[in-house]
Amino acid sequence: MRSVYVLSAGITKYGKSQLTARELALEASKKAILEAGISPADIQAGFVANAFSLSEKQGHLGPIIMSGLGVPDIPASTIESACASGSAAIREAWVNIGAGLYDCMLVVGVEKISQLDTITATTYFSFGSDYIFEGACGASFPGLYGALARAYMNKFGTTEEQLAMVAVKNHENAMSNPIAHLHKRITIDDVMKSPVVASPLKLFDACPFSDGAAASILCSEDFLRKLKGNVSDTVTIFGSGRAGGTGALHQREDMTSINSAVLAGREAFKRANLSQKDIDFAEVHDCFTIAELVAEEDLGFAPKGQAAKLTQEGYTKIDGDLPINPSGGLKAKGHPVGATGVGQLVEVYEQLHGHAGGRQVENARIGLTHNVGATGGSCAVHIFGMS
Amino acid sequence: MTEALQTQNELTVKEFQEKIREGKIEGYKCSKCGHAQIDIIEFCPKCHSPDLQKVEFSGKGKVLTYTIQLVAPEQFMNEVPYAWAVVQLDDGPRITGWIPFISRPSELPLGQRVAFKKSYQPGIVFEKI
Repeated sequence: MRSVYVLSAGITKYGKSQLTARELALEASKKAILEAGISPADIQAGFVANAFSLSEKQGHLGPIIMSGLGVPDIPASTIESACASGSAAIREAWVNIGAGLYDCMLVVGVEKISQLDTITATTYFSFGSDYIFEGACGASFPGLYGALARAYMNKFGTTEEQLAMVAVKNHENAMSNPIAHLHKRITIDDVMKSPVVASPLKLFDACPFSDGAAASILCSEDFLRKLKGNVSDTVTIFGSGRAGGTGALHQREDMTSINSAVLAGREAFKRANLSQKDIDFAEVHDCFTIAELVAEEDLGFAPKGQAAKLTQEGYTKIDGDLPINPSGGLKAKGHPVGATGVGQLVEVYEQLHGHAGGRQVENARIGLTHNVGATGGSCAVHIFGMS
Repeated sequence: MTEALQTQNELTVKEFQEKIREGKIEGYKCSKCGHAQIDIIEFCPKCHSPDLQKVEFSGKGKVLTYTIQLVAPEQFMNEVPYAWAVVQLDDGPRITGWIPFISRPSELPLGQRVAFKKSYQPGIVFEKI
């Protein structure tokens, strides 16, 4: 495989937007193209990460977006892998460039969901489950993670207060992220008193429904040399990992771990030739507070059942030994489904360049992203560093 | 027609859902390794044999984990609160279903014995036994 570089990153504000998915995707793509210092005509192919565009009566986003960038001839198709769509698109671009097919690609993730009321949005999200056996039997998306949380807490004795600490930390981190959906400091008490959505998970254990888009220009060494004259000081994909799992949570022997994340993590570390101790910070898929703890264990940052201690002891704060979700995570930065994985890359890009402002991780040299589809039917893990 | 292409032994989504309405839970048992699973599958997930036998399961088992839904998808919005549970059936496979009128965790300890109930309500309904 050839090396793959991250030339640029662009992102919109996350939150409730009056814009359509195409407008959000174009805004993020334009930022990424201008930041890269290229012309849209330099792009040879694109991937659009999206899950719910049909809720806006618009499918086939690839040509819509490429046309909006003035380059309708460029092939682009949608990558759908539920909440992992964004990182799945990065993975596919890494494959395409790494294999030598293309030298410069656009990856853009986008979601527009705020036009739906809460019940309709909850229904759409339940389509990411194994619907016949889960959604159609009464499970909402928070319900699936609620069942996972109960299994986990029963096995390891983790408390609701310990879950709440994840939310408190990520809300604090998002305070210094200008594009974050939620700018609101919260306490453990706020989380504990928030309404139950799907027990044991409460409203403040859950990420919000967000609109937003994130984009990146990825390229080969040849392209980078032609553009910059050298390959130094450029964010590089050190390792990529991707795996699957059963669509249904109940078909997995262990419902307290996400095996696709374990497998994707192993592949990414192996390809990067790095280990857990080399990682300076990570953006992980905290769609619910419980998911951040499970992610830390699946990636090998904590022994099974022990992750709650990492948050409790401050280890995962921005100034801790292993900052987790300095961006605010899905929990507070927000979760525009298709955009989320690309948005994680944007955070890593800003951190590695030292441009993360008040949430800058000190000596951020190697960052990891972990992005899960639904309850773990799919996962992608990427490790990035500077060339 | 080869044996693997015979369709009378295949479980369709339509048939699965119709049988649920009739009070029967159908799934597969692998003829080669004996693994049982309630699912839409063409190969055994354990041994990858295509030789799956359609069988009916008892519908009795115990609750492995669950949530209590206070916000629910459209089909269930008038049923809240209820428990959505993962049930380990006595005869092998796991399945999920909902248990009406559960509003507090104290009403449903893990390990609770439950039975599948014939119902005209949506999805798969379980009741405590």
